[in-house]
Amino acid sequence: MADIKIVNLHKEFGAGADKVVALDDVNLELGGHVFVSVVGASGCGKSTLLNILSGIETPTNGQVTITQEGGPARAGYVFQSARLLPWRTVMDNLLFVQEDRSEPTRQRCQRYLDMVQLGDKGKKFPGELSGGMQQRVGIARAFSTEPDVLFMDEPFSHLDAITARSLRAELHHMWQETGKTVVFVTHDVSEAVELSNRILVFAKGGRLAEDIPMDLPFPRESADPDVALAKAEVFRTFERIGALTVR
Amino acid sequence: MSTVTAPSTSPPRRASAEDLARKTERADRLRTWGWRLAGYLFFLGLWEFSSGRLMDENLLPGPSAVFATFADLWATGEVPSAFATTLTRIGIGFFLAFVVGVLVGMLMQNRWLNGFFRDAVTIGITTPGLIWALITAIIFGNREAGPLLAIVLTTFAVITVNVSEGIKSLPKDLIDMAKSFGVGVLKRNRHIVLPHLAPFLFTGVRFGFSIAWKVTVLTEVFSSSSGIGFEMRTATQLFRLPEFLTWILAFYILALFLEKVVLEVIERRFFSWRTSLKA
Ligand SMILES: Nc1ncnc2c1ncn2[C@@H]1O[C@H](COP(=O)(O)OP(=O)(O)OP(=O)(O)O)[C@@H](O)[C@H]1O
Ligand SMILES: [Mg+2]
Repeated sequence: MADIKIVNLHKEFGAGADKVVALDDVNLELGGHVFVSVVGASGCGKSTLLNILSGIETPTNGQVTITQEGGPARAGYVFQSARLLPWRTVMDNLLFVQEDRSEPTRQRCQRYLDMVQLGDKGKKFPGELSGGMQQRVGIARAFSTEPDVLFMDEPFSHLDAITARSLRAELHHMWQETGKTVVFVTHDVSEAVELSNRILVFAKGGRLAEDIPMDLPFPRESADPDVALAKAEVFRTFERIGALTVR
Repeated sequence: MSTVTAPSTSPPRRASAEDLARKTERADRLRTWGWRLAGYLFFLGLWEFSSGRLMDENLLPGPSAVFATFADLWATGEVPSAFATTLTRIGIGFFLAFVVGVLVGMLMQNRWLNGFFRDAVTIGITTPGLIWALITAIIFGNREAGPLLAIVLTTFAVITVNVSEGIKSLPKDLIDMAKSFGVGVLKRNRHIVLPHLAPFLFTGVRFGFSIAWKVTVLTEVFSSSSGIGFEMRTATQLFRLPEFLTWILAFYILALFLEKVVLEVIERRFFSWRTSLKA
């Protein structure tokens, strides 16, 4: 189980008149068996937070540390867009991020392609798939490395409702079975409430405005009055902070 | 019910539609080739007719005479040996130009070195091959360095510019993706950087090549003592028109071979992922 510690994290882009503050003095500890959802308006620094946690961006100030018992934490990342290599087949895209290309590895990759219902598309090139299919390949790729920490940036937002629901169930199942740490960015309050045990609400300017624990027992049916109540409460918090994205 | 009957009727219908499409495509291709052939027949016929009738046949030997001379010179081994000489020059010269071009393209990513090389590259791009061929002929005479240097000077800049463009447009999102998954730098270069650069390199090679072989023949005309260009010079000096036209024919065959066969084979090999998208 990974522990994530964020101390005085500050991130700016550009300089002078073009300066944008993407994250403003964020302090946070994520330990144990955590599934944390990050919500907030468009442009409030959610993707930037994931990029810093995954090491793609470096912070302007402050530190993030990710520790894992017995060695460095391995990360998987589902990006807001699919980010597949257009010149490699779907299967080769999965194999690209693996440590080896052995038969068990291939079988594991195939299993995750099956999971996203693309088991028969391994030999296709990404350009031959629809946008939603490409996004699912991105999801399979992140799962297939069986990482300790999983970063997901609005992974289900481009998918149809039924596929999204089945993948949400898979994700939840995997999280419960394996004790991974999941950091999950979403605009969808229902999704956040049904999946996570903690919800972070970011406000404009990259400020961490609210840290809401979600202790309801799983599985959380949307018809359950407690779940509906929790959603209503998160919505109210959103409105108070002005974090809701109007789409 | 309709879901049960649909699979049994649709495959033959689709097959016949495919057949039809293939048939029209074949007819189309036959027609294209027919017109192309007709073009050849017309112009060669006009040429044959003119020779000896509209113009003296010593000044304008007909195609039949040229083909006969070509066959003779091929049999004596002159054509193959001139081919080999010219191709070797192109091969070595172009390899050097490629290395220099890629190297300069990489160095130019640095701001200061960009300033250092910038105008040299512009000059390389804008100066006609004829100028370099003349200069190197004057300086080096019939020494081997002449054509090689002329090739490097006329083509490296084309490759440099393309490599530079390729490096500038490296897909940062894919490289970041690979980093976040802990993929090492060698594997990133091999699977992201190289495939991304390949089309840029190929465009550079394609343009560079079409300049390189012309310059090679040109330098041979001016100063070499072997190769296709040299043979052309000799033929004109001895006023042997059929031989001169034979060497021009050889020049066309060389061009067709390099541009169509060699480059297209390379293209098909490296960019199969693109053609499979079009299909
Ligand atoms: N590479 C960059 N260069 C300059 N500015 C950037 C860069 N990346 C992000 N920003 C800026 O930082 C701010 C936060 O961006 P970020 O992508 O983290 O938002 P987000 O919360 O993920 O938004 P969305 O919900 O629309 O995806 C924005 O104002 C954005 O313009
Ligand atoms: Mg984002």
